[in-house]
Amino acid sequence: MEEPKSRASMGDLGLAGIGGLCAPDSGAASIAVRSWRPPQAPNVVAENLALGAAVFPTGWNRAVARQPEIKAIRQETKGETPRVVSVPIRHPVIRARSFLFPDPVAQLGAPPAHASPAPAPQAPIKPASRTRLKPPADVIKLADRLRYVLQPSLETLLESRSLTFPFAPFAYQWEGVAFLYPRQTAILADEMGLGKTMQAITALRLLLHAGEANRVLLVCPKPLVTNWQREFHVWAPEIPLLVIEGDQARRRWQWELPDVPVKLANYELLHRDREILEGSQGSGTDFDLVILDESQRIKNRLSATSQAARAIRRRRVWAMTGTPIENSPDDLVGIFDFLMPGYLAPSMAPRRMARAVGDYVLRRTKDQVLADLPPKLFRDAELELTPSQRETYTLAEEEGVLRLTELGDSVTIQHVFELVLRLKQICNFDPATGDSSKLERLEADLEELAASGRKALVFSQWVDTLQRLRDRLQRFGPLEFHGRVSPRQREAVLRQFREDPDRRVLLISYGAGGVGLNLQFASYVFLFDRWWNPAIEDQAINRAHRIGSSGPVTVTRFLVVDTIEERIDRILQEKRELFDTVFASAAGPRPKIGLTQQQIFSLFELKCPASAVPSADPRGAAA
Amino acid sequence: MHVSDAKSNLAIGFLTVIDYPEHGLFGGYLILNQLSRPLEFHCTTPIKPTRAQQILYGPTLQPYLYGEQIGRTLAASAKTRPVAVLTDREPALALREFVDVPVVLVPEQGGSSADANDAVYRIDAAHPTPARLTAFSLGPHRLIVPSSSAADREAVAAALGGIADSFDFREPFERIREAIEEARRGG
Repeated sequence: MEEPKSRASMGDLGLAGIGGLCAPDSGAASIAVRSWRPPQAPNVVAENLALGAAVFPTGWNRAVARQPEIKAIRQETKGETPRVVSVPIRHPVIRARSFLFPDPVAQLGAPPAHASPAPAPQAPIKPASRTRLKPPADVIKLADRLRYVLQPSLETLLESRSLTFPFAPFAYQWEGVAFLYPRQTAILADEMGLGKTMQAITALRLLLHAGEANRVLLVCPKPLVTNWQREFHVWAPEIPLLVIEGDQARRRWQWELPDVPVKLANYELLHRDREILEGSQGSGTDFDLVILDESQRIKNRLSATSQAARAIRRRRVWAMTGTPIENSPDDLVGIFDFLMPGYLAPSMAPRRMARAVGDYVLRRTKDQVLADLPPKLFRDAELELTPSQRETYTLAEEEGVLRLTELGDSVTIQHVFELVLRLKQICNFDPATGDSSKLERLEADLEELAASGRKALVFSQWVDTLQRLRDRLQRFGPLEFHGRVSPRQREAVLRQFREDPDRRVLLISYGAGGVGLNLQFASYVFLFDRWWNPAIEDQAINRAHRIGSSGPVTVTRFLVVDTIEERIDRILQEKRELFDTVFASAAGPRPKIGLTQQQIFSLFELKCPASAVPSADPRGAAA
Repeated sequence: MHVSDAKSNLAIGFLTVIDYPEHGLFGGYLILNQLSRPLEFHCTTPIKPTRAQQILYGPTLQPYLYGEQIGRTLAASAKTRPVAVLTDREPALALREFVDVPVVLVPEQGGSSADANDAVYRIDAAHPTPARLTAFSLGPHRLIVPSSSAADREAVAAALGGIADSFDFREPFERIREAIEEARRGG
């Protein structure tokens, strides 16, 4: 084919003048504008465009001419109907169980209207532990069990009622209270010195405030009545306490008084007033709670005391004893005969008995609660003189003071000392009858700790007193350690006390010293009479307590109320407090604190005469 | 939900759910007064989700069971109206949709709900999903409410602010757990 010739040149288009835009060789752009004239008409060359075509066989024509064959195929587009699986979403059926509790705030209301004025309130204790109440095993009903499980901790319960304590109880004591509180029947059998009294008072305090008990009877040995009164004043000052005492008419009236929260009686009165207790129809002798202290007193179920105790109408019963089994398992049977008659049988095997009583008895020993206890625990045993002692004491004091008064200015400190010492000796023993309230208490305590396998030291400032104690405490195998024991014998005494299990008591004078004693074998110390100077007492105890020895020491200080002992103790206490207040931040041991001459004269409300001859350094006059 | 007020005393509800693998979910609801003493206790029989429910509900299963089923049933059983319902189970916050009192999460000490409003936002990436929980402090306590009910913070502070310092908000859950165990053992 020829190429068409109609291609016009740039010159034909009259664009020849546009050029030189780029001079290829010069590399520089320049624009030259020349004159423009319309282009010449192009030459037209006519050509015949009829193209000859020749047909040659390709087979396409037949194919093009052929009629298309159209097939129709039916194709189902629906497909199978899918199976449907329906998943029901059922809402679960939930059933709920409901338990309602009476509104405790409305139930408790204000504290008892007849509560005696409480001492100055102290800040509620914020304890570190939280002791939860657990339902006893004999509480079967779920609602009753939940009532205990859903209570706040014991500490919260007490805080919420603003029940204060003079000092925070130990953790094991909280557990003891939690053990007693929910129980209808319980035996608190902690070792002596662990605070059974405090635990019982706190638990009954909770019951009274919760309205779960309205009338409580406390029964204890006669020498411990004063002690219980004192403990109540310390641990539950807002709760009125009525001591059953006096002649029969008065006691009958006291027994039948209906609205007294707590009555306190001794075992002897139980026996004597059994007829009143059994015959009274009033609510005054129906008790929501009866607590027996030193409950081994009723271990003999045939004794009159035991029978009298069983005659008391009661709902709950708690027994306290440091020696639930003094001699044989039958002792426990006797106690349970009061708590749950028929529950234990005398012939029961000890193991079976242990399983049966497991949930009702709580016993902790000092070793078990070691971590909670300080190295030394002091407790004051406040006692009253026996009737014969009181009579002798009163007479001696009156005559003595009369004689001192008659001496006038010629009275010396020595005269006063003599009277003080005489009266202190009467506080130990009645010279005529030998009666001693201190000895009664000491015997009771020694029985308890001996049954626990413990040993004790007993201090006195008089050798004669120690020897009288030796004669009266023979069953405890007493040994003596004082000035009349030769130095050669002393080592043997100490060895015997250490090694012989039957030697339960070591009788020591304050003056004996210079030899260290191993207190691992004596975890109880009794101060039968007090020294003038507490530092001497501390020295005596510390000499016996070696640093690093295991086991806390319980120190019991005997003090007879309404006597010279109490007056001396009060003055010394004031001096100690004054020293501690003034020198609270001072390091070092406290110096000796004794009585001045004026203070000694003041014991009998006498003026110290100007001519009184000092027998020694006034500060150490009674050291 | 609640029939009557508990006189003029403060009432606080505590709700928890315990999962016993062999039995299922137990719900417990304890109502205390301001002295921490119990007023009411309700507990559920155990429920176990079916396999279908586990699959179909997916991540919504726990809120459904804890909040809607268990929580709502327990709340309806109560006679006392609490000022707030505290729970130690985050899924139980779903109860808030069905009750007219604040529902508050008491988180475990030291732990935190991953979705609380202290999430970290990046400047170089898309923001995470806005937190669905809102944390706030009440006395010594750190509490959490659903963000959709963030206004409950004020109501909770007004109702519980007075006792926040002295009341242990975690302790009642221990009691509920023990109570459920007692109920479970007792049959």
